[in-house]
Amino acid sequence: MINKIIYWVLVIGFQVLVLNHLDISSYIYPQVFVTLLLTLPLHLKKTYQLLIGFGLGLVMDLFIYSPGIHMSACLWFIVIRMLILDRQDLKEHANNKLAYSIKTAGFSPFFYTTLILIVFYHFYILWLEGIGNINIEHMIITGLSSSLLSLTIIGVFQALRLNKY
Amino acid sequence: MQRLFAFIEHNFHIILFVILQTICGFLIFSLNPYQQATFSKAAMGVTSTINKLSSDVYSYWDLKDQNIWLQNQVSEQFKESFPQSLYYLNDTFPIRDTSMHRLFDAIPAQVVFNTAHKTNNIFLINKGLSHGIKKNMGVISSQGIAGVVLSSNQNYSSVMSLLNTNMKITPHINGQEYFTEMIWDNSKPNCLSINGINKLEQINLGDIVSSGNSSLLFPKGIPIGHVSKINNLPKSQYFELELEAATNFRDLEYVFVIVNNEYSRLKDLLSND
Repeated sequence: MINKIIYWVLVIGFQVLVLNHLDISSYIYPQVFVTLLLTLPLHLKKTYQLLIGFGLGLVMDLFIYSPGIHMSACLWFIVIRMLILDRQDLKEHANNKLAYSIKTAGFSPFFYTTLILIVFYHFYILWLEGIGNINIEHMIITGLSSSLLSLTIIGVFQALRLNKY
Repeated sequence: MQRLFAFIEHNFHIILFVILQTICGFLIFSLNPYQQATFSKAAMGVTSTINKLSSDVYSYWDLKDQNIWLQNQVSEQFKESFPQSLYYLNDTFPIRDTSMHRLFDAIPAQVVFNTAHKTNNIFLINKGLSHGIKKNMGVISSQGIAGVVLSSNQNYSSVMSLLNTNMKITPHINGQEYFTEMIWDNSKPNCLSINGINKLEQINLGDIVSSGNSSLLFPKGIPIGHVSKINNLPKSQYFELELEAATNFRDLEYVFVIVNNEYSRLKDLLSND
């Protein structure tokens, strides 16, 4: 339990202290903390998942002062994750109270699930932030480049956890 | 009730999702200045469209009341709009009549039946004896002269339309009264004819034909129509004029019955002569 809390604190810290202050390009805005929602335990009730998503979004919004944007995006993230995971055969892992990961789902399902959710998340927050005055070209480039970087970092996280176990 | 609770329990996560998203929406559009401005702009567009729609619907339902109100307004204005008639009375009977009372009143009415395609057209109005309407009162529309009351019962009156071969009015053109008859000969809809105006008179196309002082039924200056054709027959010393009626009888909805307050006295005086 303590390990999980430390892992959550580290990921959130990495997001708000490092990634949010990356000054590589205006087109790069990676949101890696969603890996915490992606890898939630499979047996967790839907209501709890929603509340955790809401809470994590609230924390992110407090750090970057964007009230509601990450909260809304996290809620959609959880709902889409539920819909995707319902189509995957994960009952046995759920009964064993395992988290969603490459190890439990397999590389391909995990990769596609992560790809869909990460791309959705980035485009959703870019749309919410620019609502009413969206620059499509900027949004597409930023969304894709940020998603790519986030996928890479999440892949690294998963690799580290695989090696650990 | 149990089914309701079961439904809520089964779909609680959906209800929770909707509630939380609503909170998020509230936060996004109330605490983020840019999103708030965008939302306000969009909301203003939506509300203005809805308000316009609501206003259009309300205006439509309110048309009948507005029509009645306008009729009454026009009727009131009518009472004050013919000073010449008043001056005529005052000048003529300065000693007998110093009260400046009105010569004409107007009673608003609605047309409930109308014909415009027959040889002798009439229309019915929803005002009768109980409203002070009697035989031989003039009837005008907002455009011009419409007819003369033929008969009345308690609540309705029949009116001889201008488009009736028995209808005869003395025309007044360019400030002059012509003591000839203006008739409807049923040759063209909405077209009247005047014969017997000498070719020496200055008559032009478009001249307004109106009521004059020789009628006790209508105030002076109520339009009858305008000259639409001048037939200059070479073997005649008179014009044959065609004029288009000012009132559109095919779309006659509201009229005013003219009450000459001095009709009986003036009529008696004229009959004595």
